[in-house]
Amino acid sequence: MSTIPSNVSGFTVLPIKYSSTATHYLYARSHVSKADARKVLPEGRTLFLVNVPPDATERELVLFFKHSGTVEKVIFNFEVKEPHHEDSDSEDGEGDEDAMDEDAADEQPRKRRKTQPPAAPAVIPLPAQPLRHFRKTGSSAYVIFLDSSSLERALASTSKPRAWPKSSEEPSGLAHYRALYDSLRPPLDAVRAFADSSIELYEYELAKSKQKSKYRKGEAVVDEDGFTLVTRGGAYGKTLGGGVGVASKRFQRSGETARNRGNKKAKKEKEGFYAFQKAEKQRSNLIELKRKWEEDKVKVEKLKAARRFKPY
Amino acid sequence: MTALKRKREEIPGPHKSPRVEDEDQMMEGDQDSEDSGEMSAMDEDEAQGEWGGITGSNEAVPPEGVHTGKKSKLPSTGEELRAIKDASDLFKSSSFKLQIDVLLPNVRPKASRVPPLERFLFALHSFLKEIPSVAPQHPLEAARKLLKKGVAVPYSLPLPTEETNWKVAFEPPSDITLVGSWANKVSVKPKDGNKFGVDLAVEMPNSLFQEKDYLNGRFFHKRAFYLATLAAAIQKSKMLDIDVSYESLQGDTRLTKLVLTPKPNDSVNNFTKIHAKVCVLPILSTNSPIPLHRLSPSHSNIRLNVATNITNDDTKAAAHHPTPSYNTALLRTLAPKFQLLSVHELQNDCPAFSDALTLLRIWANQRGYSEGTRMCVRGFEGAGPWWWSILALLLNGEERRPGATKANKRKSVGKGLSSYQLFKAALEFLAKHDFEKEHVFVRSPEGHRYPPEEYSSGTEALFVDSASLTNLLAGVPLGSLELLRYDARQTLDTLNQASFSGDPFGGVFLKDCRDLPTRFDIILQVNLTSAKPRNASAHSTIDFGSPANALLASINSILRLGLGDRSRAVTILHPSSTPRSLSQAHPSSPDIIFIGLIHDPHHAFRLVDHGPAANAEDEIAVQNFRDLWGDKAELRRFKDGRILESVVWEVTTADERAHVPSMVVRHLLKRHFSIQDGDVETWQASFDALLRLPPSVSREYMASGVSTGFKGALTAFDNLVKAVKKLDDDLPLSLLTVSPISEMLRYTSVFSPIPLTSSLASLLPPNARYLAPIEIILEFEKSSKWPDDIKAVQAIKLAFFERIASTLMNSVPGLTAKVVVGDGVHGSLILDKACMEIVTPEGWAFSASIWHDREVNLLDQVIGGETSTLPHIVSKKEKKRSAEYYEALEAKEFYMRRFIHAPRHHRAIATLAHHYSAFPGTVRLVKRWLASHWILHGHISNEVIELICASFFIDSGRTVTSDTDTEKTMQHLVPTSKERGFSCVIHFLKEWKWEEGLFVPLYGAAAAPASESLPSTSTRSGNASVWKVSTELDKDGHVWTHQGPDLVVAHRVHALANATWNCLQGIEQGQLNVQSIFIHPTDDYDILVKLDPSVLPRYFHNVNADTTLLTKRGKYANKTQGDETVGLMPGFDPAQLLFNDLQRVYTDTLKLFYDPFGGDSIGAVWDPSLKEARPFRVLGGFSSLPVKKDKAKDKGMVVLNQSAIISELERLGYGLLKKITLHA
Repeated sequence: MSTIPSNVSGFTVLPIKYSSTATHYLYARSHVSKADARKVLPEGRTLFLVNVPPDATERELVLFFKHSGTVEKVIFNFEVKEPHHEDSDSEDGEGDEDAMDEDAADEQPRKRRKTQPPAAPAVIPLPAQPLRHFRKTGSSAYVIFLDSSSLERALASTSKPRAWPKSSEEPSGLAHYRALYDSLRPPLDAVRAFADSSIELYEYELAKSKQKSKYRKGEAVVDEDGFTLVTRGGAYGKTLGGGVGVASKRFQRSGETARNRGNKKAKKEKEGFYAFQKAEKQRSNLIELKRKWEEDKVKVEKLKAARRFKPY
Repeated sequence: MTALKRKREEIPGPHKSPRVEDEDQMMEGDQDSEDSGEMSAMDEDEAQGEWGGITGSNEAVPPEGVHTGKKSKLPSTGEELRAIKDASDLFKSSSFKLQIDVLLPNVRPKASRVPPLERFLFALHSFLKEIPSVAPQHPLEAARKLLKKGVAVPYSLPLPTEETNWKVAFEPPSDITLVGSWANKVSVKPKDGNKFGVDLAVEMPNSLFQEKDYLNGRFFHKRAFYLATLAAAIQKSKMLDIDVSYESLQGDTRLTKLVLTPKPNDSVNNFTKIHAKVCVLPILSTNSPIPLHRLSPSHSNIRLNVATNITNDDTKAAAHHPTPSYNTALLRTLAPKFQLLSVHELQNDCPAFSDALTLLRIWANQRGYSEGTRMCVRGFEGAGPWWWSILALLLNGEERRPGATKANKRKSVGKGLSSYQLFKAALEFLAKHDFEKEHVFVRSPEGHRYPPEEYSSGTEALFVDSASLTNLLAGVPLGSLELLRYDARQTLDTLNQASFSGDPFGGVFLKDCRDLPTRFDIILQVNLTSAKPRNASAHSTIDFGSPANALLASINSILRLGLGDRSRAVTILHPSSTPRSLSQAHPSSPDIIFIGLIHDPHHAFRLVDHGPAANAEDEIAVQNFRDLWGDKAELRRFKDGRILESVVWEVTTADERAHVPSMVVRHLLKRHFSIQDGDVETWQASFDALLRLPPSVSREYMASGVSTGFKGALTAFDNLVKAVKKLDDDLPLSLLTVSPISEMLRYTSVFSPIPLTSSLASLLPPNARYLAPIEIILEFEKSSKWPDDIKAVQAIKLAFFERIASTLMNSVPGLTAKVVVGDGVHGSLILDKACMEIVTPEGWAFSASIWHDREVNLLDQVIGGETSTLPHIVSKKEKKRSAEYYEALEAKEFYMRRFIHAPRHHRAIATLAHHYSAFPGTVRLVKRWLASHWILHGHISNEVIELICASFFIDSGRTVTSDTDTEKTMQHLVPTSKERGFSCVIHFLKEWKWEEGLFVPLYGAAAAPASESLPSTSTRSGNASVWKVSTELDKDGHVWTHQGPDLVVAHRVHALANATWNCLQGIEQGQLNVQSIFIHPTDDYDILVKLDPSVLPRYFHNVNADTTLLTKRGKYANKTQGDETVGLMPGFDPAQLLFNDLQRVYTDTLKLFYDPFGGDSIGAVWDPSLKEARPFRVLGGFSSLPVKKDKAKDKGMVVLNQSAIISELERLGYGLLKKITLHA
């Protein structure tokens, strides 16, 4: 094991000792900022990790890097999240109910910043338990230290494998599944509080977006070129512009007009009216017949070649 | 046509404008094609004449170049066209005809190899003519002399004795003829590498026989001596240098013949290459002294008491029983020459006769109606004349029966039929004819030898041919004919299927259909060594030729009588007789036979057999009934007041009901043949055991008296629906429907569903406390109040659940309901993952979800984005597919599967289960099989298995819908036992080329058009699954194969099916161990994770559960006192959860396998592509370990870090797993 190189493709290799025989390897690099992520991932004190253990929790990573310095937060799998999750906190790995409420929580402050409406109703979260969340093996994470010196220390200290700290707060194995089972079945009043507040939030947002929309009811939608947008209305046929015929749903979907209009013309000529039509038809029938025959012949030849016709 | 010609002549050439000319040509082209179309209907020469005439007139038309150009487009000559037309009209399809053409030469002898055989036959002919005659001598003395030369004389029963006062002699044959199929060139290659038979009829001179030789087997003794003398001479001959052996058809000594097979030498006469054997049959000449009128079937020609008690006079002979099979055996020695001529005549009359006969014989050979080394249907050895006689019957028609009117006389078919049509007509006859009741006399020019009344005494089927005037079905048990009829019907069904997706040719002619497990509903293996018939008579033994034949005939008739309408066919099977050495006089009979039953689903499982009424006048009927059943017969009074003799079969469980037919057989064999139960083997019980809970667990259930099983589950479901409906006032929307989607409510779950209350749970060991939740779907009335946002819809659903749960708990005491907010895996907000868990007071668990029909539109909006509402606006830039898009796609697929497809699938499968009693059992066995091989669930969904099994019950284009008449479906030729269904599925999986897909018409034709308006459900492009099982409502066939199997698993299933099939084949050797089919070999896995059985709540489902681990006490006797109140955890299976997590986490690293039914280990194999070192990537997707850098290369290489993954496994499964084993 002494032959393990200390860095790979610019990543520092951090060995973790799982047991006396098994060693896991983290690949670490100081995070190089991208324009859009600057706010969340401060350059200089963010460590980018690859091949994080699938069951690692934030606490475990914090403990693992304790010797190099204090960790501010850990963000798992940053890259696969969509951009609007940027300002979410690091809890998104903590099971879905957390994700749910944090999701709701992080969306609204952003909008508030812009429009400054009256306070939005807050979602009452479901009771959460500390649970592990298993990620795909070989995934990545960001560890943000409090200061840049800790980062340097973390990258420097690669010499000997350190043991993987095991957080006792989040159960693992059988206990994990029991806890998960229980946490998925919260008390009924908690469910009600959560559902009610979520719906309230939805209604609030709906009202807000109506208010925010630059189109008012009954006003035409005019784009910058001066064209009025005419669409089909709601369930009762209201159109936004009003009074203008709009293409049918069928047309919208397929781009075809109703079938009875166009087809009338095409049908005018009878099929077997002229002798040549009949002749043509018969000829093509015969040619078709012959073609099929030849096809079958080829098929059977092929089967014959595969020695399929030896019944026994 | 003449009118057109005239018209053409009328058009005056000179002033014809070019326009007209053109048109004229057109018409002519038309004319040509019309002709060729018509021609197929015309006779050959006539058509030719017409053709020539038109081409002649064509030449008169000036611009020839143009015309020929046109003509070249047409399919060449009329000759060829007619052939093509014929192929599609007279045969099933043109490809069918072509395939027949290719097939036929393969089963016929190669002409190039015939000459050595012919040279040999010439040599043999001259040799036979010169065998010196043997002076008359006493039969026993003659036999002793021959025995010194090593040749035994195959005297038949009754054997000649020392007192015998007649003599046997030998004189050279008066005539030697080549007869049978070889002479007529209609030989068909026999099965199992047997040889073509070349029959050589050797006519014994009349001077050897006397008038009275028909009595007491004297003729057969003389024939036997003749045969033995021939054998001795041929064996001795240096010139011929050939192996000689005896062969007795059907083990009947009277039908012994000599079989000559070439020795490996290099003489010019060596005919090894043609793969033939020469059979020497001594025959009787037509003008022999034996009077034929003495051989009518009602005559008695065995005077037993004559042999034992000479004082009896002739008048007593009238009291003798007739000896039909003895007489037929004698008549058979007359037949060969007549048959030769008759076949030749048919060949001349009907050009397609030879081909049709060949097709028929291939068909029969593939189904075991012939000689073969595998299990063959009894009675069809040497049945060559029977096959062509069927065709003769069709072509020549039937003899007028005296009583029959013209209307019910069978009509003959035309002689111009094609071989395929003739073959089909023959099948039609076999499928429709009732051999038991109707006797057939093929029309013969000279009229029949014996009037039909003569035949009435026998119980056998009767089919008297036109040439030899013997009963060709003598010695063929009726049960075999029933099977023949069943097979013919099945083949006809396949051929007639209009909507058949594949080519039926292979199934009809190329497939070996002799496999017992797929052919019979029940197979019984019977050891005959200890059989002693209760009322054996010497008479019948002698009539049938040997004790074994008499025994088998009697077994067949008694079983048929006892089973009655329970079965469609009762068939005895055994390997056909083989040649024996010349020193063995008598053929050996089979010790082990198989009895195959095909059930009639209507009656097979009846528990009571009714006999005649007690006060019946018919004393004999009562007596017969009592005699048949022995002490099982009892007098019973029934509800309707009748008092009947009856037999009652005791069954305790539903499983056992399926055993009734085999119980009947066992009882009858024991009573009439004293064959003990140990000598009869069926494999049903071991299959049943696989679907049952271990006794220690089921005992608790029996004791607690709760209602279990599918019936209990359905009742619980109905009660729950009623309870929820009652809540209507308390809910904002009223409940519209509740649709079940669980396999437990459609009879197809492996284990019959059981409830679990906490009081019951405390009696059970902790590893038997699994409670499976039954999935149902609630649908509420439509309302506009539902929000227009998918996330809000999910929140509203939670609110609904909460409301239902709390009101339900108030209204039904003892019921608990919980809201499950997710599955712990998916974090998505738009996925419908919440459900409500209800445990009824009786202990049934349900898991309910809510269907909102607008959900799909909302998801479509997310998926389609702007374009879904405004499709005509084409956006220029390719939009980036956001994570939201993929999330919505997944949610939609999930939605479609659960809310649209699952209820429909459930209804169709439940209907099918109602119609076919064997269907649910089949599904359960197949699921159990796949599960025990660690594939079900993880790789293959339950539903796709149900679909595949369903294809065996609906495939012939007959769909079963809820309004299909049950009576009708009973007639379908589908498996009627789960064992047969299981074998069929295994066979299918073995043969299936999954690239071709499978279409299952589950929903019936009516449902098909609706599917077009349905949006395509599988929007995901890259589907990992290689199986494709489509229905009318799922054209893509990926709804239920969304999770696999992928290529690796599909190959695995194929290999497993192959191995299992081979195991099932072991039935023929009588060494099938059912349990072994369900035990999974674990050597192939790289990693084997052993789980701790004591913490697995489903361990009691394990296929090979260790019963010592299933006791309540476990290791420590005092530990059980602690936990008296046991909390129920419906659906909690940590092993399954762990497996799911591992599958998700290591999807690109490991392929994992696990038995969902209480499996105690998880198997895994490394992805082979990861074994190599590869360059480091950030999103490598696997746990890696850097390797020493190659100096030349800049990139860092990494390799799979196996040991770290193993320790991760240990960590993830902490508390669950016992140990991890690695295989190198």
